[in-house]
Parts: sequence; C-alpha cells; structure tokens
Amino acid sequence: MLCAVYNGKPAMLCLNQLRKTFGTLVAVDDLSLEIGRGEVFGLLGPNGAGKTTTVNLAVGLLAPDHGTVTLDGGGSPTDPKVRAKIGVAPQALALYDELSGEENVAFFAKLQGLTGRMLAERVRWSLNFVDLWDRRGDRMSTYSGGMKRRLNLAVAVVHDPPFLLLDEPTVGVDPQSRNAIFDNILVLKEQGRTVIYTTHYMEEAQRLCDRVGIIDQGKLLALDTVDELIAAHGGKSVLTVERTDGEVSVETDDPLAELDKLRQQGELLRFRVDRPDLERVFLNLTGRHLRD
Amino acid sequence: MQEIIALAAKDLRLLVRDRAGFFFVFFFPLVYCMFFGAIFSGSGGGGMVSAMKIAVVDEDGTDGSREFIRTLEEAEELAVTLTDRATARNAVRRGKLVAFVILPAGFGESVANPFGGGMPRLETGIDPSRRAEAGMLQGLLTQYTYLTIKETLTDRTKMKTLIADSLVGIGNNEELDPVMRTTLQLFLPALDSFITNLPEGDGGLGGSFGQVAIDQADVAHEETGENPTSSYDISFPQGMIWGLIGCAAGFGISLVTERTKGTLVRLRTAPIGRGRILAGKALACFSTTVTLQIMLLLIGWLAFRVSPNSLALAGLAIISASLCFVGIMMFLSVLGKTEQAAGGIGWAVLLILAMLGGGMVPLIVMPGWMQSLSHVSPVKWAIVAMEGAIWRNYSFFEMLFPCGILLGVGVVCFVIGVRAFSWAQEG
Repeated sequence: MLCAVYNGKPAMLCLNQLRKTFGTLVAVDDLSLEIGRGEVFGLLGPNGAGKTTTVNLAVGLLAPDHGTVTLDGGGSPTDPKVRAKIGVAPQALALYDELSGEENVAFFAKLQGLTGRMLAERVRWSLNFVDLWDRRGDRMSTYSGGMKRRLNLAVAVVHDPPFLLLDEPTVGVDPQSRNAIFDNILVLKEQGRTVIYTTHYMEEAQRLCDRVGIIDQGKLLALDTVDELIAAHGGKSVLTVERTDGEVSVETDDPLAELDKLRQQGELLRFRVDRPDLERVFLNLTGRHLRD
Repeated sequence: MQEIIALAAKDLRLLVRDRAGFFFVFFFPLVYCMFFGAIFSGSGGGGMVSAMKIAVVDEDGTDGSREFIRTLEEAEELAVTLTDRATARNAVRRGKLVAFVILPAGFGESVANPFGGGMPRLETGIDPSRRAEAGMLQGLLTQYTYLTIKETLTDRTKMKTLIADSLVGIGNNEELDPVMRTTLQLFLPALDSFITNLPEGDGGLGGSFGQVAIDQADVAHEETGENPTSSYDISFPQGMIWGLIGCAAGFGISLVTERTKGTLVRLRTAPIGRGRILAGKALACFSTTVTLQIMLLLIGWLAFRVSPNSLALAGLAIISASLCFVGIMMFLSVLGKTEQAAGGIGWAVLLILAMLGGGMVPLIVMPGWMQSLSHVSPVKWAIVAMEGAIWRNYSFFEMLFPCGILLGVGVVCFVIGVRAFSWAQEG
C-alpha cells in the first residue's frame, strides 16, 4: 500500500499491515494507518494494548515482523537522515539526573548534529519553549516532576523536527505543568508539525487531537475524528430528570425533545444531560474489565 | 566523530559528578599505591627494614658480653632493650617485643677464647606468633657473634696472646682428648709462627682471616634497571590495575543504567548508529583509564621516584592495558540486566581476575599452580607490561608479548560484548 498522500496532503507516517510479536505475545497485529502532515494524532489504548510497541516501530527502534513503516514520503525510520526528522519524548524520563537542564538538551542536540551558533540558539529556544530557561543551570535531579516532563519535551524539539512522537507526556505532572504541555503541543500544531500523542487521558486527546486511533490487543479498533468516533461508538445521550415521585433516566438521540415530553407528564424539579464522550467510546470499544 | 565525542564527554561529566564513582576510579588506586608502597617499603632496594624489637639480658657482665651487646645495638636490623630476664620474658609473652636474648655467664670468655673448647652459647625466646622472624634473628645473632670473634682473630697481638693462653689452658685441661691435645699443641705453635712471620702491615690479619666473601650481586636499578628501586615500583603498577578495574566496572554498569533508565532508547532515536553509541562509551572509558594511569605515573614519579625506564614503552603499556579493559567493560555490561546484577557479577569477575593475576597478592608468593593459572588473567599481563616499562627494563620486543595478549583479550571481550549487547536490545 502506498500512502504518499493522505486526505489530500502528503502523508508524514504510513504504517502498513504491521505485525510484531514477542514470543507468543502478539503486541501489534496487522495494524495500518496513515498520518498526514500537520496532524495531531492521538493513539489511545489500555495498558498493554500495544501503543508503545507501535511507537517504537514508527521510529525504527523495533523492526516489524511483517509490514512496513514509511516516513515523510517513503523513507525508512532506520535511515539516519529520516530519523533526524523525528523528535521523541519517551514515556520514561530518558534524561540524565546529574546533568543540568541545559546540558541535557545540548547533549541530545549534539547527537542530532547541531553545532556552534545553531546549537546555542536551538538549546535556548527549546528551553524557553518549555519555560525552563531560568532553571537551565540546575541539575535535573532538583527538578519537579512537571519540570522533568517539560525538559523531556524540550529535548524532543531541540533539533526542530517536523514529526514528533510524544509517549504519555503528561504522566505524573501537576495541572499547571499539564496545561503548559498542552499549550506547547498546540503551538507545535500551529507550526505545522505532525504529532503522535499517546495517552490514557481521554480529555487530553479530545482537546488536542485532530484524529484518534483506539488500539487494544495490538489491533486498531477505531480510527476517526473525535466527533465521528463519538457519533459511531459513543451511544446515545442520557437524560436524567428528578421529579416529585423520583428520578428517571432516559437514553435519547434528542435530549430536548425528550425533556419536553417528560415535562408534559408532570412537574420536573431538576434535569441533567450526559452527552457521550471519548471516554465512553473508549470503554465501549475496549470493555470495562481491569487491565493489570 | 562529534557525536562520539559528545557521548564520551557526557560520560566523563557524569563520572566527575558521581562522587563515589570518582573516588573509586581516581583516589582508591592512589591510596592503594601509597598504602601498599609504604607497607612494603622494606622489600625493595631503596626502603628501610623496620628494626626487630628484642630484649637483651646480660647475665655474664664481662667486657666480652658488653662488647657483643654494643654490636647488637649498632645493628640496623635490631632495636635492643637491655633488661632483666623476668622483664624480658614478660615483654615477649605480652607481644611487646619479638624476642629476648640472654647472654649467660661465660659468654664473654667463650667469645674471647674460641680455642678454649667451648662454643659461645646464647639463650633466646621468640613470640610464638612471630615464628617467621625466628630464623632471621638466629642468623643475625650468629653473624654478630662471628663478628665479635673475628675481632680477636684478625688482631695480630690479640691472636698471639690467645694462642699462648690457649696452650696453657690445653696443658692444664686433663679432660681433653689426648689426640685433640696433641693436635692443638702442634697446630697452635705453627699458627703462632705463621702469624709472627707475616709481613708487617697495619697490624691486622683481615686479609688472611676474613670471612668467606660471598658477594651478593647487587643488580642495582641505577646500573641495569632490572630491579625495583622501591616498593612503590611494585605498588604503583598494581594500583594502576585497580584504576582500570574501577573504570571497567563503572562504565560497564553505566551502560546498563542507560538501558534501565531509558536513555539508551533516546540515544537510539538519534540519527547515529549503535556502533557510535558504543564507541562513545568506549572512548569515555579509554580516556578515563589513560588519564588515570598517566596521573598515577606522574604522582609516582614526582612523589615516590617511580620512574619508567622508557616513556614510550610506558605509553605502550598504558594504551594496551586501557584497550584491554575497555573490552572487558563492554563484556561486563552484558552480564546483567540491572545495575545491581551487572555490578555484582562484574565486580565478582574482576576480583577473581585480580586475585589470579596478582592484583591483590604478588604472584611471587603464590603456589606454583596458581602462578600457572594466573596466565589466564589480563590483570597479570597488565602488571607485567607496566613493570616491564617501569623497572624490568623490557625491550620493545619483550613488551610485545604482554601487550599483544592485552590487546587480544580486549578485542575478544569487546566483540563478545557488542554482539551480546545488540542481542539484548533486540530481545
């Protein structure tokens, strides 16, 4: 399958019938998807669904047992020239505690081939971008959890890559840092970068992502915009009314019409409408059993 | 190349900021060199032997016994305390002194008159825990007793008086064997005549009656460069080995840490190959080991007169040993999946190599079978190469053997490590 063009725009990433196993465990099973340039794509799934394996396949850290990964019009992520276009913020904080924030960013920038003035400018830009310039000289071991996550993002963007892979970038951070990271991602989106964003937090995906793919047991269960996913898999809205004789809940496609009908039957004290959201889509698709 | 240098610089920066690691890599070897150099400072050519503390009891009280005690007091090997028998015995029992020596009544006479029929007798008592020194003390006492007798035998006047007194004593001694008496009565006048007819010189008979001259070949460092000038010549190569061991263990574990902390994943997402990542680690390890060895050699040279016979060969030894331990570092990094496992297994392997190779106990004191076994340890060849450059006066061709072994071990370990490391990543 060729996917040089997606939705009228050149595709940034194309995963074609990917399969990856570890022993008897099938981590990714016949997974295909295309991601367009400038798109923020959310990859959702419960623990052990295959998100990180998919990410590792996409950036060339793992070789697929079957299928192909092409990036930026046909290049393989194992090619250093292609890999230079990728910025990765791994789920684990992959940084050096005993180096300062600036040293961490500069070190990874050098590995990307930056030198001299360009190196200094990009380090300064990325630290300013995540609002850590003032703490650049402090060792990372002294940073808070949120600062470490922001530094993780700074390292991912220091070489100005057009394609970013952010693996659960807001795990364990306070609301302030989380919002700061959201703002960073929206800026990156405005700059036209392509972002793959994996997360457990549905509201994050709903807020940030143009499209969302839901993966479980290595298979892609659904792939569309948030609104379309909700329409297809979210089910009906739930109207709950409180009357003098008790509380009534009704599933409906038209809560206003249903509310009007119930009002004619008697006096209503209070009412509430629960609209379907991405979380309900996620649970409907992946089930409610625990994934330990 | 910029990426490899950046990787190495990062590792060196991390090493400097890890105080415990920095201590073990840089200061522990120096402490080792100085500590063991000081302990064994008597074993080399330039050191001082610490004097053996003994008590001497003079129960004779004659000029002869006092002369003998004076000789013992002047001996560098002995620290003499004059005391009585009970005090001396008690001091040795309590471990304060190594031994006591009692000069019994008649000792002075027997030393002054060796032809009188009685051998000089001494009574000694040694601390049971210091048996090793017993033989040494016996030798020293024999030596100094002989020296005292020699005083008499090499003085013409004293000798003639001794012969005359001895002839009188022999004549009066009815218990003496008749054959022996006749022999001595023939020998001693002949000896007296011989001494009388000797040409006049300085009055001494040293040339005629000197002890057997056993000249110990003093293969001094200044003359041939084949002996250590001090114990530091021995301890510094050993200390340098401990530096190499510390580096190999430290960098091997750091490679595992990269994997467990996830930084290895991030390094692999950079547009550089695995070979460069490992080359960066190897360069950091190599530059640290070379720096460490040069630093130790400089300190040894400036403070302890550890002077290599050949700087070029010392450089060859340093580079060979460093490359060997870079390979070992790579090998150690695949022995465990966690830092704890890699550290535990790595140190165990290195300590065994150090024990076998003479890094802990000098090879010379090991039993024969262990000395044969030591050939398998690169530690041995690193010490041999280092000593070859510092004081064994190896030629370039003699250096090739230990250095070749070191390079071979390094290459084999590095290749095994790289292959196993790649496999671990795939797994």
